[in-house]
Amino acid sequence: MIEIVTLIKAYQKEIVLNISELKIEKGELFGLVGNNGAGKTTLFNLILDLIVPSKGHVVSQGITVQESEDWKAFTGAFIDESFTIGYLTPDEYFTFIGDLREMNKSDLELHLTAFDEFFNGEIRGKKKFIRDLSKGNQKKVGIAAAMMGRPEVVILDEPFANLDPSSQYKLRSLLKKQAAEQGTTFLISGHTLDNITEVCNRIVILEKGKIVKDVPKTETTLKELENFFAGVKEAESFVLD
Amino acid sequence: MRPNLYSFSWKEVRRSSSFGRSVATTIMLVFLALYFTLVFLSLGVFVIPKVLADKFPGEDMARYLLIYFAFDLVTRQLLQNLPTLSFKSFIIQNIRRKQIARYLLVRSLLHFFNLLPFFMIIPLFFRIVVPGHSAIAAAAWLAGIVFLILSNHFLSTYLKWWINESSWGFYVFAAVFCGLYAINFFGIVSLTGLFGQLLDAMMSYPVIAVGLAALPVFFYWLNQRFLVANLYLNLVEHKQRDSNVRDFSWMSRLGDYGKFISLDVRMIWRNKRPRTQFMLTILFLAYGFLIYRDVDKGIPEGIFIIGGLLMTGMFTISIGQFFPAWHSRYFSMLMTQNFKMKQFLQAFYYLNVVVSFVYFLVTLAYGFIDVRIIYFNTALFFYHIGVNMNLIFLFGSGSKKAVDLGGSAVFNYQGMGAAQWLIAFPLIFGPIIVFYLFKWMTDSIPALMLMGSIGILGIILQPQLFNYFAKIYNYNKHRMIRDYKNS
Repeated sequence: MIEIVTLIKAYQKEIVLNISELKIEKGELFGLVGNNGAGKTTLFNLILDLIVPSKGHVVSQGITVQESEDWKAFTGAFIDESFTIGYLTPDEYFTFIGDLREMNKSDLELHLTAFDEFFNGEIRGKKKFIRDLSKGNQKKVGIAAAMMGRPEVVILDEPFANLDPSSQYKLRSLLKKQAAEQGTTFLISGHTLDNITEVCNRIVILEKGKIVKDVPKTETTLKELENFFAGVKEAESFVLD
Repeated sequence: MRPNLYSFSWKEVRRSSSFGRSVATTIMLVFLALYFTLVFLSLGVFVIPKVLADKFPGEDMARYLLIYFAFDLVTRQLLQNLPTLSFKSFIIQNIRRKQIARYLLVRSLLHFFNLLPFFMIIPLFFRIVVPGHSAIAAAAWLAGIVFLILSNHFLSTYLKWWINESSWGFYVFAAVFCGLYAINFFGIVSLTGLFGQLLDAMMSYPVIAVGLAALPVFFYWLNQRFLVANLYLNLVEHKQRDSNVRDFSWMSRLGDYGKFISLDVRMIWRNKRPRTQFMLTILFLAYGFLIYRDVDKGIPEGIFIIGGLLMTGMFTISIGQFFPAWHSRYFSMLMTQNFKMKQFLQAFYYLNVVVSFVYFLVTLAYGFIDVRIIYFNTALFFYHIGVNMNLIFLFGSGSKKAVDLGGSAVFNYQGMGAAQWLIAFPLIFGPIIVFYLFKWMTDSIPALMLMGSIGILGIILQPQLFNYFAKIYNYNKHRMIRDYKNS
């Protein structure tokens, strides 16, 4: 469970994130949507203690991430390509992360076999460095590593971007499967509304650093979201007239 | 209107991040440039005329110029970069490939290496060539020299393309070079003599100088032909071939630190910049042959300190000055992983201990030159591990600039900040001061023993020091992530 109370991040008095209250339950598939610069990555960086909040703190499973490092044992994350190591082969990278997560060889093998279809035979067993892979394949490596070692919380920033359509479908089912089997809490952001609404069971819209909508997924969520984002655009062009 | 490509290159220089590099680096660079300028000026104005007059009266200076040009060619091979910067944005535009090639080649002429020899040549020209020769002859001499500098420039560029393409190119180059040297050295064909005759003939028949102009034109043409045929994206971006991925997985079994040691080793071995820096430290082991020379009454003790310190500690000085910025590109990922900062530091420490120990063993061979080298290097090895290693960690905690692993290792100031220059002072002058202080109080041998003891004390205190460093690295974590992102 992740709890956030009055979390503020500001750069030189310009507030980029201001969340008065947010609670993410265990096992929830939490979807975060919003336009560019809405503060999605900032929120994730704060939950991962990669940046310092101007005010407030994040409590993950009872641990205040700004004070203790113990959250690292049960958290996996992939924010961007800088979360992989370019000069390692994918297999070496998986071994490295697996070691850090205290997985043995068979655990690692089991975990990665589930990703075989997702990898499409282009990742494992190749003597190719991650830096020489395509952007999409680099992303696949990062996502698979983030979900390793039975983490209780997994944070994925725009996991669907840069992936081909069939990989997007496969990733949807991988995420749902792990959540169902291991009770993993997923925090996922993205721009492709259909992917997010398909996977997540709760959707939060961020706009200019603030939560403007927080809804459980229903039959009509996708339609509502589309209307919301299209509406913002229409309203603007309307003002211009 | 046709855009002028050269105006882009000016903007590129003006707006590049290295132009706005730190004040310390700029000062250091200006200092180095001035230093070399002065060295070459004094060579041209005083040293060469004096040596010629004293030692080789009546002999011709011209024949020694070939040695200079040979030396120049080798230096350029090592230090000059290929003119491939930023052609990517041009190749899909409506610009002829030939024009891009011409732009890249002409631009490459603007290099310190092409300016430097003139500081030596011009004074020589006025002191030695102008007196006693007609104006036309002197002008022919100067023109000939300029053509030779230009051809050296384009020849070394062309050789470098060629060496880059094939894996054995470098060895062919080295073999041909050594072969020519041997032919000249053993007097089979006196190449230097022939070269001298050529320059002399040029002064009698200035037409030859015009003929020499064909040389740079020819090498330029070779370069242009190569570029026009190879101006594709993969010209600079060499992808790793499947076969030569070296596996270091056995290192992961070295206990708790294994996974980070193998990460460090892979980082050094698989990236151009750290690998070249590492290779240079191996080359540096030969530094002793340069500095261990008799001066009046044996080798001075200061030289032993410098030699022992630099040769055993070069790996730490060269690689360590950028610690932990080598890992900057994925630093935030590391910071979300479940490990203790202490492990990360310890792994780098043990890697340095092992490499420095190997280097230390190698340098013991210099004991044949002077047995005191063994005493000095032993004391310095302990001092290095116990004190300098910790200074590296201390400076590393203030690390600000990300390092690009792919760049070249020489004359690359990316990732350099004031800290990288400042750290040299305590690392190198520290032990010198400590030694002379103790020597002043006691004598050489007790001073060495004291130095070694300080080192051993540092090694004994290492566990506590690691705890301390882990704390300040953790404390600086957010700042480092932010600074690496911004640089």
